[in-house]
Amino acid sequence: MSNGTTSPEVFENLKLELRRGCLTLAVLAQLRSERYGYTLRKALADDGLEIDEGTLYPLLRRLEAQGLLASEWREEDKRNKRFYRLSATGEEILNQLLSEWRRMNDSLSKILQEA
Amino acid sequence: MTKQATTFQNPLELVDRYLQAVRFWLPKSQRQEGVLAELGEDLRSQIEEKEAELSRPLDKNEVSAILKKCGPPIVVAGRLGPNRYLIGPTLFPTYAFVLKMVLLWILVPVFLFIIGPVYVVNSAGNWPAALAQTIGDLWSGLFIAAGIITLVFVLIERSPAQAAIACKWDPLSLPPVQKTERKPSLAQSLSQLIFAVLGLLWLLLLPHHPGLILGPAAAILKAGPVAHMMYGPILLLTVLTILKPAISLARPYWTWFLPAAELVQSALTLIVVHFILNAAGQMTRGDWHPFVVQATGLSGNYIQAAAIVNISILISFACAWFGTGIALIVQLWKMFTLLRNKKINRQPATLRA
Repeated sequence: MSNGTTSPEVFENLKLELRRGCLTLAVLAQLRSERYGYTLRKALADDGLEIDEGTLYPLLRRLEAQGLLASEWREEDKRNKRFYRLSATGEEILNQLLSEWRRMNDSLSKILQEA
Repeated sequence: MTKQATTFQNPLELVDRYLQAVRFWLPKSQRQEGVLAELGEDLRSQIEEKEAELSRPLDKNEVSAILKKCGPPIVVAGRLGPNRYLIGPTLFPTYAFVLKMVLLWILVPVFLFIIGPVYVVNSAGNWPAALAQTIGDLWSGLFIAAGIITLVFVLIERSPAQAAIACKWDPLSLPPVQKTERKPSLAQSLSQLIFAVLGLLWLLLLPHHPGLILGPAAAILKAGPVAHMMYGPILLLTVLTILKPAISLARPYWTWFLPAAELVQSALTLIVVHFILNAAGQMTRGDWHPFVVQATGLSGNYIQAAAIVNISILISFACAWFGTGIALIVQLWKMFTLLRNKKINRQPATLRA
């Protein structure tokens, strides 16, 4: 650190911090249409945001506890699956978060251009 | 163990074994929430998709690779379960403060200045045994105290009172801002210098005018062997005491100097007092007059008066040793925090934030 070299550990920690908020936004956005855990993970990965099981399911439970998601167990292809979708509150919060995201993105772009 | 791990017919049984292992590490409250069913469904979907891609069922190694990618059961359970800690972030700073106070500022000084010396006195000259006993008891004491404090904080963490403690604070009750670097005032340094010079003059006059310390008792008492021996070192300490305010006056911007000089002064005082007590202790009991003896050529017997004065001086030196020891620990801590603050202040603001 002191000699100016980039520590991989510091980079990983900062990347995780940066990713945390983005993942919540991405999950909420993906759940505008109903999905179950695996298809949600797959949709996120297809769009370039890989997320492991140990991160996704606690996040889904937290968002549901906050009233942003609604879920139900349903049988599909002879297997029980838990389907998630955005609740009315979740939709409202998602819109607010998206405006905030766009505002921050504009600011950051401006800052990066100035630099 | 190896036999148990290989005796399965269906590769998908591996998924059930995996879920069972994750279940084992999950807290009981989490086992009922369908979290395992959700994880199992995810894993089976992955297997199903892979099988569709290869147009054949997966073998045990391919299933094993999927599970390996998911992570070790204990790690997955840790991620799926709630965040758990013995002492949470709200209470932890208080816990660390109490632990530090009790262990470093109460237990260690008590053992160093009370229990340790008591063991040494009762050891009949067997210093190493007394030292070993002190260190052993201190070690056990530290462990027991740390355990009790941790237990108390764990109980507070789990009690409803914890939230009330966290909310109950008033910005108006915050202590005033402390100056991190103490700059000695001119009046303070000047008065210290004047008193130190007067003290040195008094000390230089003592051998010729013992009445300056003994008062009227100078007619019947005179300096003993230890008093003669300690005169030189005490004179040297007084000269050093003059140097401290003198340098502070000449270099007031040396903010590090005063705490450093106080530290050195306390250390030297402790050494000198230790040697004085040691010398007094080594004198034979029948003729124990270390500091004052009866003056020669007197008609009366003043041995008892000399004994009382000697014991009083000895007690005074013992108290000085104890007080200086505590002062030295406090000064060492101050010096440590001063150096640490200097180091932090040298870092760029972004690293401090």
